[in-house]
Amino acid sequence: MKITVCHLYPDLLNLYGDRGNVLAFVQRCRWRGWQVEVMEVNLGDPVNFADVDFLFIGGGSDREQNLIAADMGKRVENLNRAIENKLVVLAICGGYQLLGKYYRTPEGKEIPGLGLLDIYTVAGDTRLIGNVAVEAELDSKKTMLVGFENHGGKTFINDTMPLGKVVSGNGNNGVDGTEGARYKNVFCSYLHGPLLPKNPALTDYLISLALERRGYDLELTELDDSFEESANKAMVKRLIG
Amino acid sequence: MIFRFLLALWLAKIAMVMSKLTGKGRGSSLPGMLALRICPDILKHYSSQTGRGAIMITGTNGKTTTSNMLAGALEHAGYKVINNREGANLLTGIVTSFIKISSFTGKVSCDYAVLEVDEAAFPVVIKWIQPRMVTITNFFRDQLDRYGELDTTISKVVGALKKLSADTQLVLNSDDPLVAKIAAETGYQTTYYGIRPAAEISGRASYSREAKFCPFCSEALTYAVYIYSQLGDYKCPNCGFTRPVPDIEAASVRHRQAKTVGAVIRSGSSEWRLELPVQGLYNLYNALAAFTASIKLGLKPEVVIASLNRYLPVTGRMETFKYKNKKVILALVKNPTGFNQALDGLLVGDEEQDLLIAINDNDADGRDVSWLWDVDFEILLERQERFKRFICTGQRAEDMAVRLKYAGVSVAQISIEKDYNLAIQAALSGECQVISMLATYTAVWPVEKILSGMSERVKFSEDHGMSSVS
Ligand SMILES: [Zn+2]
Repeated sequence: MKITVCHLYPDLLNLYGDRGNVLAFVQRCRWRGWQVEVMEVNLGDPVNFADVDFLFIGGGSDREQNLIAADMGKRVENLNRAIENKLVVLAICGGYQLLGKYYRTPEGKEIPGLGLLDIYTVAGDTRLIGNVAVEAELDSKKTMLVGFENHGGKTFINDTMPLGKVVSGNGNNGVDGTEGARYKNVFCSYLHGPLLPKNPALTDYLISLALERRGYDLELTELDDSFEESANKAMVKRLIG
Repeated sequence: MIFRFLLALWLAKIAMVMSKLTGKGRGSSLPGMLALRICPDILKHYSSQTGRGAIMITGTNGKTTTSNMLAGALEHAGYKVINNREGANLLTGIVTSFIKISSFTGKVSCDYAVLEVDEAAFPVVIKWIQPRMVTITNFFRDQLDRYGELDTTISKVVGALKKLSADTQLVLNSDDPLVAKIAAETGYQTTYYGIRPAAEISGRASYSREAKFCPFCSEALTYAVYIYSQLGDYKCPNCGFTRPVPDIEAASVRHRQAKTVGAVIRSGSSEWRLELPVQGLYNLYNALAAFTASIKLGLKPEVVIASLNRYLPVTGRMETFKYKNKKVILALVKNPTGFNQALDGLLVGDEEQDLLIAINDNDADGRDVSWLWDVDFEILLERQERFKRFICTGQRAEDMAVRLKYAGVSVAQISIEKDYNLAIQAALSGECQVISMLATYTAVWPVEKILSGMSERVKFSEDHGMSSVS
């Protein structure tokens, strides 16, 4: 079996060690004996999202957003079709905002996003920075996700399902207690850390969804996650006690 | 108010003696802090006393080494130099350096002040001391909490530079687009230094690359040769911004798998052979910066080269200890670029070694440890057989262990020991003759304290395998 991972704009969207998410996904597949191909797709590079098993979109700084929005504009139909066909996507921070309807600047200007999710982001007056713990339900199992948030935008998700409920930290906007968003197999979050290495339950859930989409119905082999779990627990203990 | 000045000076001097007596000698900024509290404009009293003027070195990495190299060259040429040698590069540390050599009547006698200045403190420091020359090493992403602020930091440095007098001289790294652009932005007379972009020195990791866009028109920069981080032979395909041809250039560079760096330094049709007794391309950049500044100050190139060839790294950022028959090296790591260089250093040589990595997440370390994923730990696997054990300690020991695991280090080789004492004991009790310890800012001190209690500090090691990376 060969799994195809697509890292979108690794040269531009590589803030806060986010490539660690790709690494976590890839390693956990390889440790189970599967072959993985990583495609790094930069501005203008061809890609058909239907052929991808896992798409990762990270965060970038403001000066990069315009270039990316223009390039993504040409890919949006292809991506939309793949998402409706259950493409597994993880979008973090800037990548998360990009999938939404718009980003409203402090001057009130609305910069359009890709509109793939019914969410929008408003520039805040203070940055939301710090460690976060989020309670999420994955495959009807409760799990505590940990990470570090650092965002100026506040995202509101309307009726979209959140990734989880904030237990400590700010999450989407610091107001409504939600963190991240989920739509079909698209998972969005503000959590860096990076997110996947320290939250192996989420990583494995993404892997199983990707396999399911390819028509495989198999139980994932258990891995020894003692380091991952102790890193996760250490942060939960620090934040919640 | 001379009375206020003297009061500040004397109290600071007393504080200095006290901290020496109580053994809390680490507080190199405390006397300065005290003096500033009493006499905020204390530096004014000193700035006029630096006979030939002040030279400031700023940028993200290499400030300490560059300023020590420059001070060394000036001293080698017979000048008397004030230098904040221990890397105390905020306003308080600079004040302390002046107080230290000041007489009780407030007199200092020196030819030059060579000051390394933190990028963020630069706008404040130049209010009190106007440098005749400013050397800028590079701009890298530092603790990631501050990432979004790199642009802001650079524009604050540029804003401060613009307030200096029109005859200020700049010494700039031509290979860093974020630094090279400053010549056009300030209009000052600029001398560039750089490394000849040859294919054989081109670097591999691109994870923590910073400037990919033209600072003038935002078009993506293209690189003919890429050295490390964003350093290299860059060009903007749109507006023509391009790596300036350096006035002083290093060519025929030898640095891989060696504990020294050799290069030919060229200026016009003259050339000199440099044999730096420390390793790493980043140290070649530091030496080039110091060489270029020295030449602009009128020193003879031969004198500067001789001084650089004898350069010994100061202790503090990198220290060597002896425990029984084992060699213990302790180095500070504070950002992905510096960490990558420290790892490059570990690859040199053939001894088997154990590694201790101490990661904290206090404000001074960066509260977000995500940056560990921008460090290229994967390169350690190139010499896998040489690294026996990886002991992770510090507040974020578990995160470090996870990072190593996903880099491909076997789980059996990794251990987590949050207690510094136990971690260090474990590291020292292994079979390897070499133990390397890498620690973030607030982890270095406790590790160093424990180490110096149980082993012997070596003043200068016979080889300077792993030198300061900041
Ligand atoms: Zn340009």
